[in-house]
Amino acid sequence: MYKVGDYHETDRMSDLISENYPMALVTSRFGIALGFADKSIGEVCRQNEVDVNTFLTVVNFLANEKPIPVSDEKLRSSISLEGLIQYLHNAHDYFLNFRLPHIRRKLLEAVSDCQEDVVFVIRKFFDEYAEEVRKHMTYEEKTVFPYVRSLLKGEKDPKYNISIFSKRHDQIEMKITELKNILIKYYPGKSSNMLNSVLFDIFTTEEDLATHNKVEDYLFVPAILALEKQ
Amino acid sequence: MNNALKIALAEPSAIIRTGLVSILKHLPGFHFQLIEIASTEQLPDTLRTNKPDILIVNPAIPGSFSLETIKEESGCREMKCIALIYQSFDLSLLRQYDEQISIFDSADELRHKIERLDHTSVRKEQEGTEDQQMLSAREKDIVIGVVKGMTNRAIADALFISTHTVITHRRNIARKLQIHSASGLTIYAIVNKLVELSDIQQ
Repeated sequence: MYKVGDYHETDRMSDLISENYPMALVTSRFGIALGFADKSIGEVCRQNEVDVNTFLTVVNFLANEKPIPVSDEKLRSSISLEGLIQYLHNAHDYFLNFRLPHIRRKLLEAVSDCQEDVVFVIRKFFDEYAEEVRKHMTYEEKTVFPYVRSLLKGEKDPKYNISIFSKRHDQIEMKITELKNILIKYYPGKSSNMLNSVLFDIFTTEEDLATHNKVEDYLFVPAILALEKQ
Repeated sequence: MNNALKIALAEPSAIIRTGLVSILKHLPGFHFQLIEIASTEQLPDTLRTNKPDILIVNPAIPGSFSLETIKEESGCREMKCIALIYQSFDLSLLRQYDEQISIFDSADELRHKIERLDHTSVRKEQEGTEDQQMLSAREKDIVIGVVKGMTNRAIADALFISTHTVITHRRNIARKLQIHSASGLTIYAIVNKLVELSDIQQ
């Protein structure tokens, strides 16, 4: 579906997005706005004060969907952890304050002609799910990121290390997959454009959450492991 | 659709692996999902994630392994194993395999061998799809209990069965419905009128 292969600093930013549209989410999470004209990836990054290597590492990791071929140490030295934290933070903000509330609104509108009890349980399911995601991400914001920031300043915390995080890091897309299956298999109402639209939103969010987790597990955690060893 | 078999191919030689893949892809009447495995290290993980119906493996693949342990560890108990042979082998070693193919086999011979193996597994799959979705009366009772927020213990006591049986039922329900959480089951139960809203709002 998308172009597979490595992107380089000299490639055009507009090509990256056209060939691989979910990358629009990546640029915006790095704080880069659309409207690139013919500028290269390197130029756009520098203009927006984004570390080019960090940007390309994330982009190529997501474009190729294969494990990073370099050692943790090399990964650590080639990316800016502060930049990656900012990226992850913006992604959290997107899921919690934009994506999930948006799906909730559309979902409730789509099922509004169902019986009241069905609406009630679907809303309850969704709200419980959104709460789980919020907890998952808040833990990263309140515990993991501050830990990494002090580690970067050279302060070690004797009571915490990143493997505590990777052990409890669960797949947050599982339950939204379940909602998707329930709608596909058991939805009792009439077909509607809104329902399809929200179903598509759920599909993309499921994928987006899965890749978000992958960035944390395969880029963020290994880089911090290397930092801890320093 | 019956012929959409998942075949994993563990063979270190890229030339032989690619050759076999190409023959399998062109076998008339079959549609395979092929998974290529180049080394023994990748074997357990790949099997675990893909759960193939058939594993074609070179018994001489570097690194020692036993089919029994591999099936056990990867949770592929039902998987059929075919030995891919290009030299003579100790017969006792080959006894654990369900079938053997030689690199000199013709496409026709290959097709016959796979068909023969597939016969049993396909039938099982069809039975599997029939019982999907249809929950038994007992399973519905369990769903109702879970949705009402009862513990396994409480459900067991109410239905005069052991907690172990309740757990087995729950596992089967999750597999049939593809729903694993209690709140997901609640939606199922309401939609299918197994419970009323008042039952779950205490």
